Amino acid sequence: MTADQAMWRRKAFEAAAVLARWALGALFIYMGLKKAMHPEEFLKLTRQYEMVHSPFLLNAIAAGLPWFEAFCGALLLLGIAVRGTALTLVAVLVPFTWLVWRRALALQALRAIPFCAVKFDCGCGAGEVFICGKLAENILLILVSCWLLSGVGRAFCARHALFSGKSGKI
Amino acid sequence: MPSSKSDIRAILIEAAIVVIAGLGIGLAANKVSPRGLALSRNYFPAGANQSPVAPRQLQVAPVAVDTNESPAAAELSERLRDKGLQELKRSQVETLLRDPRSRDGRVVFVDARNPDDYQAGHVPGAYELDPYHPDRELGNVLPVCQAAEKVVVYCTGGDCEDSDTAAILLRDGGVPGGKLFVYGGGITEWQAAHLPVETGARNSGMRSDSK
Repeated sequence: MTADQAMWRRKAFEAAAVLARWALGALFIYMGLKKAMHPEEFLKLTRQYEMVHSPFLLNAIAAGLPWFEAFCGALLLLGIAVRGTALTLVAVLVPFTWLVWRRALALQALRAIPFCAVKFDCGCGAGEVFICGKLAENILLILVSCWLLSGVGRAFCARHALFSGKSGKI
Repeated sequence: MPSSKSDIRAILIEAAIVVIAGLGIGLAANKVSPRGLALSRNYFPAGANQSPVAPRQLQVAPVAVDTNESPAAAELSERLRDKGLQELKRSQVETLLRDPRSRDGRVVFVDARNPDDYQAGHVPGAYELDPYHPDRELGNVLPVCQAAEKVVVYCTGGDCEDSDTAAILLRDGGVPGGKLFVYGGGITEWQAAHLPVETGARNSGMRSDSK
């Protein structure tokens, strides 16, 4: 591979990372605001997961999470604290995916249907979805977040990192 | 991937800042949003400690007991019983809508869905009471319900518990449980049966054909 080819490959890779960051950011803004417009609907869906039994905590999750998602989306779109935001998204998406999977298993047992035929509103902001598609989507979002966590997609960033690490990469 | 301990520490601190700022902004946005939730309110009162209403208080036309009731319908009936609420079937609600008392305010219908759904179509003459934002209408609806002989609350039907919540709100506001009824089938069943639906504001006179 010539030096030119290697440079173009690096540029294409970086452009893909920037596009992935923008796409992830836009998706989180859209999903977050959609839920924030109807917090009572999100509250009902959150309740189905039976995560917390305190009304205060349940309300705080349903009231704060949609805006929190939109905030994280805005940070990614603007390129602020990208790696910290990506880590936060992984920390949110992994347990949420597990909760969705657990609920789908419960619905599968209740309805006695194949796992991939389970369709329900998981509170993701997209209405009723088939579980297998949703799990695939979440895994993709986790992988993109992990990719951004590795430090790619620095172009067009307002402030990629809030602090400088020892390696100087941050 | 982060290449040194200081990188990892910097990312962790950054993530902590994102979480704290995000939660703070999220709760502040909820506070200022007109659609925001009240954090201290219990939106799903169980009402299990409410004593179920005696059968003699049910004075609407009885319907035949369906011994082949579906599991979903049985679950709905049990849910309402647990909350000390009385259930009405569609034919009973139809009878009440045709009852002359529904025209002079002695039989009142309450729609417990959100304003958009209410505008799209509700039982003719029904009052709007969104249980997630009771401050908007409760002040108007409560005196009407207190003065009525029968109050029928409904929402989408099926799994929808908003009618239960609205009925409990009314009961907590002083409407005797004996005259409070929940139409379990809700607007979905009502529209499926091609029963009259009013669109827009209450008593707008605009009717739509149920589909």
